[in-house]
Amino acid sequence: MLSNSLHDPARASRLAGLIATPLLLLAAMAYTGFNPLLLADGDTAGTLWRFVADFFPPSTDGTFLHDMLRETATTLAIASSGLALAVLLGLPLALLTSRALDRDTLCGEAPARPWQALQRLLRAMLIVLRGVPDLVWALLLVRAAGLGSLPAVLALGLAYGGMLGKVYAEILESQPREAAAALAASGASRLAVFGYALLPQAATELISYSVYRWECAIRASAVMGFVGAGGLGLLLDTSLRMLNGGEVGSLLLLFAALVALTEGVSRVSRAAIHSRAGGAALATGTLSLLALSLLWLWPQWREAPFDVAGLWRFAQEFLRPTLRGDFLVQVGSGVLETLLVSALGSALAFIGGALLALPASNRGPRWLRAPVQLLLNFLRGTPDLLWGALAVLALGLGPAAGVLALAVHTSGVLGRLFAQTLENTPPDAEAALRHSGAGRLACLCYGLLPQALPQWLAYTLYRWENNIRIAAILGLVGAGGLGQQLYLALSLFQLSNAATLILAMLLLSWGVESFSRWLRQRLG
Amino acid sequence: MNIAKLSVAGLLLAAATLSHAEALLKVSAIPDEAPTELQRKFAPLGQYLEKELGMKVQFVPVSDYAAVVTALNADQIDMAWLGGFTFVQASQRGKVVPLVQREEDSRFTSKYIVNADSGISKLQQLKGKSFAFGSASSTSGHLMPRYFLQKQHIKPEAFFKSVGYSGAHDATVAWVSSGKVDAGVLNASVWDKLVEAGKVDQSKVKLLGTTPPYFDYNWTVRGSLDKKLQQKIQQAFLKLNAANPEHKAILDLQRASRFIPTKAANYKGIEAAAKEAGLLQ
Repeated sequence: MLSNSLHDPARASRLAGLIATPLLLLAAMAYTGFNPLLLADGDTAGTLWRFVADFFPPSTDGTFLHDMLRETATTLAIASSGLALAVLLGLPLALLTSRALDRDTLCGEAPARPWQALQRLLRAMLIVLRGVPDLVWALLLVRAAGLGSLPAVLALGLAYGGMLGKVYAEILESQPREAAAALAASGASRLAVFGYALLPQAATELISYSVYRWECAIRASAVMGFVGAGGLGLLLDTSLRMLNGGEVGSLLLLFAALVALTEGVSRVSRAAIHSRAGGAALATGTLSLLALSLLWLWPQWREAPFDVAGLWRFAQEFLRPTLRGDFLVQVGSGVLETLLVSALGSALAFIGGALLALPASNRGPRWLRAPVQLLLNFLRGTPDLLWGALAVLALGLGPAAGVLALAVHTSGVLGRLFAQTLENTPPDAEAALRHSGAGRLACLCYGLLPQALPQWLAYTLYRWENNIRIAAILGLVGAGGLGQQLYLALSLFQLSNAATLILAMLLLSWGVESFSRWLRQRLG
Repeated sequence: MNIAKLSVAGLLLAAATLSHAEALLKVSAIPDEAPTELQRKFAPLGQYLEKELGMKVQFVPVSDYAAVVTALNADQIDMAWLGGFTFVQASQRGKVVPLVQREEDSRFTSKYIVNADSGISKLQQLKGKSFAFGSASSTSGHLMPRYFLQKQHIKPEAFFKSVGYSGAHDATVAWVSSGKVDAGVLNASVWDKLVEAGKVDQSKVKLLGTTPPYFDYNWTVRGSLDKKLQQKIQQAFLKLNAANPEHKAILDLQRASRFIPTKAANYKGIEAAAKEAGLLQ
């Protein structure tokens, strides 16, 4: 029998959430010193606008354009060879760790203990590989082994290898199991089960995900130069430091073009997988791109050979984290600051994303749709570190700038996802309300939002997991958090301090991931 | 498939050209100013060294101070223009030999500057304001000012509202002038140069003070570089004479009256200051 009570059974927890969330966010605002009103302040706005006004006209200086072309090629080459390395690292690790290939899952055999232990070890390794942001890997490798594009390639290979290893394994696990089980039952090896049963099923998904990662790798390698690891980031870093607006303007246009280009290539490639001819073309294209990339990077690597002895010396100093009390207190305040910046930034982006999603989807006035979509692309496509640098100009050095940068960048990401959710929401509830005479606002609040909201919250929490890593590196441009401490420690060769800071980053990112997973389960 | 063939041919060609090595001196500098400025400053000196040493000299631009130290220790470059602090770091982490310094480097200073609108005229008034050092690894842009501030019982992280690192001396001026920070500190030599060149808007940036003198920059080579070549390089620098117009142009770009021999012991004071300031363990 249904309960007669008119009260919401989940009232207590909802009410608690409704009261606690704004309070926590207000506390975060107080701690980070983020005050949206500051943006309206004449002085701050003036500083920012003077710089932004300099973006136009973009610099057309000959040497600069020449450097820009060269570094664009380097950026593309780093991304392509870095991703190739990541596949070489991630695929074997996925094959070793995926539960979809385990005989115990497939045909109920008791698993061997040493094998399970090895798998657990490899999974932990994957977590560390992807838990350290790629930019931090690059920073470490630049300090350990010297200059150039090789550290950037290795950094991408390690961080993305960890990510691909996990996702490849999960893709294999999501496939229908019958064919694999049949092969395993007849005694086929792990590799044979993969090659003959799972690969044919999962190939398109595996390739499609890899292509998407290539797209991400390009965005990532465009900022590697911020830590001295080659590519366009080097130019952007210099132009931003010198407050050379025209150069930043040119670079922004280039970034936008690059993002559009890679998204186009990525879309075409993902469509091409489905035909035999398309697949062959994609394979040829990939191999040629890789060959050209290595050809382009080779002279740089030859000039600055990797310092293996240096790497060894570095590892010895690095593997002794500082655990002194006063230093731990300092790291603790950095951790808290990073956590609050990421949480507040993501929460503000939830609001920003929601406001932008309505006009960007088919809900708003038609004339507004295209410009808002363009705005979303711009917010999303501009690298987060650049937003960080601009936010520092607007709000000054410190965590408040980090909050602003994350909020702006993530609004672009969430706005697009939120708009997709709105477009996929069944219109029935809204239509029913409208027919019974409800106004537009009521339709929105009672018909549409209740359906979209759980998905929106889930997206925001996912994004928060990502933002905690970004918040940890925004300190590189002076926007607070652990990043500045890490950069200082590595600049001053205080490697044991750097080790502690990276451990803190790992713990923080792991903690946020676990908390967010728990929240998502409760919400879903 | 044509692209694939072409790439293979290209690879072979590249391998063939690369195997033909020649005598080359790779030189770098800590990026204490904008990269374009570093290249401009180095160009005539590089040509002079090529002529004196009879070998090709190549300038390797590097994005940050610590990377120059790592590259020198890793034998990725042969010679570098280092600051006092980066020299101490490099000699702690490997074998390096300091060859020459500018005469000016034995009594170097830093300048505190402030945004003109702030109305500040004394160092003590900077309490609660934002402040920019240059690079964290800079001697004149970070280490020595921090050391002297501590002598006056000013602990930057507690005294200022926020502390930033602009990365380079000219960037510090840009930051203060734009209002990105209220005040900052930089290399006196770069400050003088920017003022002489009219690149400082005096209505926006005011000079606040000068530090006591200390030892700074030098030209350092990696320890494994051929001893004879080390001597030849040192001689080439010492021969630069302001009476010779061609030399004068080189010296002016380096902002040096002349070069003098230097030794590691000159930088003991920097090392002690770095330890006291907590920047060196």
